[in-house]
Amino acid sequence: MQEAPVSFKLRADRALADPTLKIAIDRTTGTAERKRAVAMTQFPQFEAARERGKRIKNHVIANLDHYLLEFERNAIASGAKVHWASTAEEASQIVVALCKQANAKRVTRVKSMLGEEIGLPHALDEAGIERVETDLAEHIVQLGGDRPSHIVWPSMHRTREQVSEMFKRAHRVPHQEETIEAMVASARRELRDKFLSADVSISGANFLIADTGATCTVTNEGNAELTTTPPRVHIVTAGIEKLVPSTEHAFLMLRLLVRSATGADVTQYTTFHCGPKQAGDRDGPEEFHIVLVDNGRTRMLADPALKEMLRCLRCGACMNHCVVFRQLGGHVYGGTYPGPMGAVLTPVFDGLEQSRDLAHACTMNGKCQEVCPVAIPIPTLLRGWRDRSWREGLEPAAARFGLGIHTFVASRPRLYRLGTAIAIKVMRLFSRGGLVRGMPGLGAWTKYREFPAPAKRSFMAMYKDSEGKR
Amino acid sequence: MTTPQSTSAPPSSPRVGLFVTCLVDAMRPSVGFAALKLLRDAGCRVEVPEAQTCCGQPAFNSGDTADTAVLARRFIETFEGYDYVVGPSGSCVGMTRAHYPEALADDPAWAERARRLGERTYELMSFLVDVMHFTPGDVKLDASFTYHDSCSGLRELGVFAQPRTLLDKVSGLTLKPLEGNDVCCGFGGTFCVKYSSISNAVVTEKTAAIERSGAQLLLGGDLGCLMNMSGKLKRQGSKVRAFHAAEILAGMGKGPAIGEED
Amino acid sequence: MSARETILNAVRAGLDSRKVDAEAARREADALLQDLDAIRPKLPAGALVDAFIARVTSPKVAATAERIKDITELPAAVRRYLDAHDLPPHVALQPAAVLEDLDWVALETRDGVKPDDVVGIGIARWGIAETGSLVFHSGPETPILANFLPLHHIVMVRERSILAFLDDYAVAVAGQRPPRNVNLITGASGTTDIEGSLVLGAHGPAHLHVVIVENDIHGDIDADKSTPGASS
Repeated sequence: MQEAPVSFKLRADRALADPTLKIAIDRTTGTAERKRAVAMTQFPQFEAARERGKRIKNHVIANLDHYLLEFERNAIASGAKVHWASTAEEASQIVVALCKQANAKRVTRVKSMLGEEIGLPHALDEAGIERVETDLAEHIVQLGGDRPSHIVWPSMHRTREQVSEMFKRAHRVPHQEETIEAMVASARRELRDKFLSADVSISGANFLIADTGATCTVTNEGNAELTTTPPRVHIVTAGIEKLVPSTEHAFLMLRLLVRSATGADVTQYTTFHCGPKQAGDRDGPEEFHIVLVDNGRTRMLADPALKEMLRCLRCGACMNHCVVFRQLGGHVYGGTYPGPMGAVLTPVFDGLEQSRDLAHACTMNGKCQEVCPVAIPIPTLLRGWRDRSWREGLEPAAARFGLGIHTFVASRPRLYRLGTAIAIKVMRLFSRGGLVRGMPGLGAWTKYREFPAPAKRSFMAMYKDSEGKR
Repeated sequence: MTTPQSTSAPPSSPRVGLFVTCLVDAMRPSVGFAALKLLRDAGCRVEVPEAQTCCGQPAFNSGDTADTAVLARRFIETFEGYDYVVGPSGSCVGMTRAHYPEALADDPAWAERARRLGERTYELMSFLVDVMHFTPGDVKLDASFTYHDSCSGLRELGVFAQPRTLLDKVSGLTLKPLEGNDVCCGFGGTFCVKYSSISNAVVTEKTAAIERSGAQLLLGGDLGCLMNMSGKLKRQGSKVRAFHAAEILAGMGKGPAIGEED
Repeated sequence: MSARETILNAVRAGLDSRKVDAEAARREADALLQDLDAIRPKLPAGALVDAFIARVTSPKVAATAERIKDITELPAAVRRYLDAHDLPPHVALQPAAVLEDLDWVALETRDGVKPDDVVGIGIARWGIAETGSLVFHSGPETPILANFLPLHHIVMVRERSILAFLDDYAVAVAGQRPPRNVNLITGASGTTDIEGSLVLGAHGPAHLHVVIVENDIHGDIDADKSTPGASS
């Protein structure tokens, strides 16, 4: 899932230089932030609910083997076939093999970030299977030939003008009128017969229900049900952390998930999928497969610095409220998952050396933790990556050297006072009109803002004098 | 880590160790003297331990936990003997209260000492209001101000109402609300120089909001954030002047603002 | 070793090889469902049906609703809807006996729903006042596609099947064999994928109209299953 080897900083600067991108990000995340704020005022029980949600997820994680086996047993009893995959490659190979076994020519997909994580779009394309993305945003991403830039609004980076142009190029009967309504109608026309003529459907799962063996999807478009009902085979891919004990527990989590994601109380469509077509059913797939995916999750489970991330519901609230994400958008992060939660997860999937910038490109302001529906201490987890990066020697030598000297000096108060006095003298040498100007070493600051001149002497020096006179 | 409003009577002339913080020490001593005055006015016996240096936040945020632990132990030894430790920065106090136990997690005895000291360590505004039930005396300043809630103080220490309560007592001073008052200004310690272009984009939105507030003064409780925002305002040629809230409360509002010639 | 064994072993190792006591896990999971009123929204005071209708017609759900006394009034209600929306008198019926047995008089009805149908008529097993949701179970009389293909979806629900909270639905079906699909439908199909702008009729229905029937109905959908709301 790596981008071309362009550094994070370069990617960031390119994104910052793109005024269209900023407009697109603000439209989507700004709306999401406002709607969530309204939803919170209407749900004063949120704090208590999120504490409960956190405990439910912690309970599942602490009993994960138990719930995995209970889910497997019930899923099999419902007629599902359960597959297990340790890695992304294994998972996508299982899915591709199932598609081939079904002689699939056309596969319809419901948006699933896990599908992106395991590289499923690419694997299906490689296997020569026609892949139809049915979520409108994923359809736009597919037409644009790029990657999702947000986990809830994957095509957040596209403006309506860009979408219009893509639809006109690709759709058989494209829209005539330049309105978003007309564009949505064009996609509806384009995709409808594809829903009905696919051989296999692939979806993710927002929850896996242990005591029924059902998988749960939430969508607003209704594409999940239109996608998974007509084809002969339905394949679900899900991370092993998606379990909840029962449907009732799922509803408690759902209240948190949807409000945090879109500000709605519930999505338009919440569907529980349990096994294949039953006797007498008018529609539904003949085969129902569930692929349970590890891909680093058991490593996170064993790691106290990452375990709490297994609670993540993939709501996207952390990115909608992140000052850095809102300047950069999602592609800059370089992994499947962007924003704060992505900065925690990407090093798990892609390695820390590739992605060490992500943990550092954060002001540690704590807003993500404040809005997280399961209270994941994201800043603490990012600090954990910084700590690991330091211990593994991945941090630049200059930073290591500088901090080493700083600690040496700061451990010796008299030396520290002397250092402060010298620094003040030097800064004042470069000062004019209350501001430090053109001083070497301050360029990263003064490129964008002024640096105030320090007072003539330090507090400690002046205090010593004044107290002497007291 | 929020500090509940204390209902008990304030302690009688407690011995307070003033934790000056590096930025205040080197860049803007007036904030330290303002803190000193306010604490004394509130009836505290204030001392400034000479052995204090840096709390270790730069090391901690860089992932250098070992060096953080060295400086954390020093800090604890320096301040342990006081009834309270008070600093004019939510970020530095948040470091010692919320993060020292993390940085010393490998050493349970020291982690426990850190926790115990943390319980007596306060950000200046919250100490004055929550512990000392302090009301500033006769302070006047005819100006409008807007207030930025620095993230560490707000989210790690629950500092929100306290500075407003105190500033409300300054006659002539009127608050103009800041849109996104709780949104990060893009400072983030070393973040602002490591990722200066991103930091710049963030602070540019912040200064736009400050200008929209129409206030003459920008006040806050953290010098780092204030230097970031006022530095950007100055670069943009803004007329808005920035002070630490303690300076205003201590009657220093007539002096030079951050980035003005002394 | 199979991936299954590898994963389960890794999970157990990550949990310090602690043996899970299934009974204890169940007790803990049940305890997490206590005191629900503290963690869910409150319903407005008054009758459940009023709360449900208020919710369905609120901007959040943005559907329309009406009440009828008896199921025999449904064809007339549908007729009024078609006239109000200037729609031709063709409707597709969910193949449920309770709907098929009605006298549809001047309306042209068809059993089953086709991809290009304009109006589909369905019957929901439950309504949920908390969210304004309609609950469907797939079955011989309930094809799932019928809920998604038509442009206008008119759904009948019995007043006595209206439940207060989502949790009440979970309690109502606990222990039963789940159907292949449970659909909770809350409003028309919508998308905000282009610049965050809400557009209805993304892939599913663009309009949802809910008809609440006051009198009890004889006969049930997929008759072998009882309606749990009945006993409470």
